[in-house]
Amino acid sequence: MEVGTKRPGVLKGALGLCFFLLLVPAAALAQPDPYEILASATREANSGNIGAALKAYLKVPAPEPGEDGGAFVRSRMEAAKICFSTAEYKNSASLCEEILSLYPENLEARNLMKQVTVAQTPKWVRFLKDMGTYFPTLLRASGMTILLVLITMAVSPVAGLFIALARISRIRSISWFFWCYIWVFRGTPLLLQLFFIYYGLPPLGITLSPFTAAVLGLGLNYSAYLAEIIRGAIESIDAGQMEAAKSLGMTYWQAMRRIIVPQTYKRLVPPVGNEFIALIKDTALVSTIAMVELMRAADQIFNTTFNIFILMQAAMIYLAMTSIFTVSFRKLEDRLGVYENR
Amino acid sequence: MIELVDVVKRFNDFTAVDRVSLKIDKGEKIVIIGPSGSGKTTLLRMINFLETIDSGRMFLEGREAGYRRDKKGRLVMEKQDVICGLRSEIGMVFQHFHLFPHMTALQNVMEGPVTVKKQPREEARRIALDLLGKVGLLDKKDTYPAFLSGGQKQRVAIARALAMKPMLMLFDEPTSALDPELVGEVFTAIKQLAEEGMTMVIVTHQMGFAREMADRVIFMDEGRFILQGNPGDVFSHSMDNARVKAFLQKVL
Repeated sequence: MEVGTKRPGVLKGALGLCFFLLLVPAAALAQPDPYEILASATREANSGNIGAALKAYLKVPAPEPGEDGGAFVRSRMEAAKICFSTAEYKNSASLCEEILSLYPENLEARNLMKQVTVAQTPKWVRFLKDMGTYFPTLLRASGMTILLVLITMAVSPVAGLFIALARISRIRSISWFFWCYIWVFRGTPLLLQLFFIYYGLPPLGITLSPFTAAVLGLGLNYSAYLAEIIRGAIESIDAGQMEAAKSLGMTYWQAMRRIIVPQTYKRLVPPVGNEFIALIKDTALVSTIAMVELMRAADQIFNTTFNIFILMQAAMIYLAMTSIFTVSFRKLEDRLGVYENR
Repeated sequence: MIELVDVVKRFNDFTAVDRVSLKIDKGEKIVIIGPSGSGKTTLLRMINFLETIDSGRMFLEGREAGYRRDKKGRLVMEKQDVICGLRSEIGMVFQHFHLFPHMTALQNVMEGPVTVKKQPREEARRIALDLLGKVGLLDKKDTYPAFLSGGQKQRVAIARALAMKPMLMLFDEPTSALDPELVGEVFTAIKQLAEEGMTMVIVTHQMGFAREMADRVIFMDEGRFILQGNPGDVFSHSMDNARVKAFLQKVL
């Protein structure tokens, strides 16, 4: 990766190249040991003198045909790496080419050439390529998000209904118990609840898989929210309905089941739809307890590519899911309202 | 058939029904009149156990019904299944209909027999269709309440109560929420029922109706029966009582 350069950018390969051109004949005359030059250059590099090291590396002469080229390859390779690390891609490439012109099979040089090519392609081209590469991964991860949403959607309304009925129960202790339940689960962050279930319970001897912990956390949290919504809906039904049901001889539960609760369905759709849309987004929180779902996958890819488009893609998938919900809840509301004159 | 003895109902420090005794005989048609807040509706609701009495006694067919004394000697309502059994014998029609909005007219009428009496659906359906025909709404059987007029709603509500085959029908201001031109159709239905010999208690402000079909008219005020007797007597003696006079002058 291109990190901040450690030396003035002016001392570029051009200078290095001049040295190189000057030194070749001199070196040919003096015949100094190339390995010694390499060793001193390495010492410079190790002590952090990148500029000096680069100069020194370039002093290693090209081998005559039949001569040992080990020091030459090593020195050019190190120089190419330095240039690459300071984003001097052209110099880096020409150094690699130098090696490859003598040893076309050199793997290290080839690999660096590839990296230079990648580094020189514009960012947005790379990002667009990444989108194609990683999209299937994101889609697969969305499967887990959808699964969590569906399970919570199946469990929490049922649990919520029973909690709501318990809340309006005249039996004080039951009502109080569920008041506390709602108080705790609605009054603390879902993130904290997930941490508590996944990281907090094992010391108490209860170890849950990330999936179980995620389902439990989301289920408990959303049941608490839905219970309050359902309770509100039940209490919003005209008291006359209960009286009419009772006047026919219905018991409290018959009246609830046949008369009161069915009338809440239509009223429940908008607020519950809202909750389920929030749920889709809240599933992202389970990424913190080692669950691989859409957010986690996007985060992982983003951390290796720093590609903003990956996050945008994840956002698109979330938007697609919430949009489907918005539309279908609208339809459901209309269908449940057929008996209303509007 | 049903007898209330010295029943009292208080709401906080307001006494809605103040030591009232009422005996309803089989086939009798009682009309209760009186200013609003006089306790008429509360009395009606007490007969159907929708209000708990604070003191007094209730008898059904000569046997004490609906209440017992707890260990401390306080009056408490019987358990739910007992009360539900009693209620299913008594039909009630409300001022604001209280039809079940999520059910069609037919489903409304079938609901009691199917859910409470566990009647087979086919049988309940036959009876319901018969009753809807009787109140002249067979063509509205698949209509939801929201699409019915007030008069139609109240007639469905009457059919719904009748489907339980009650021995007594209670009408709580059945025409007060209706437009004047819709009052007639509901009265016709009630009158028809009266002619068939149904026992009924009607709370109403319609004096003409009281005069026409009541066996007994009760004038109620401040939780007490001020005047009662056959319609002719009550209306002719009404001028003797200042409160009755004032009320009648207002409503007539």
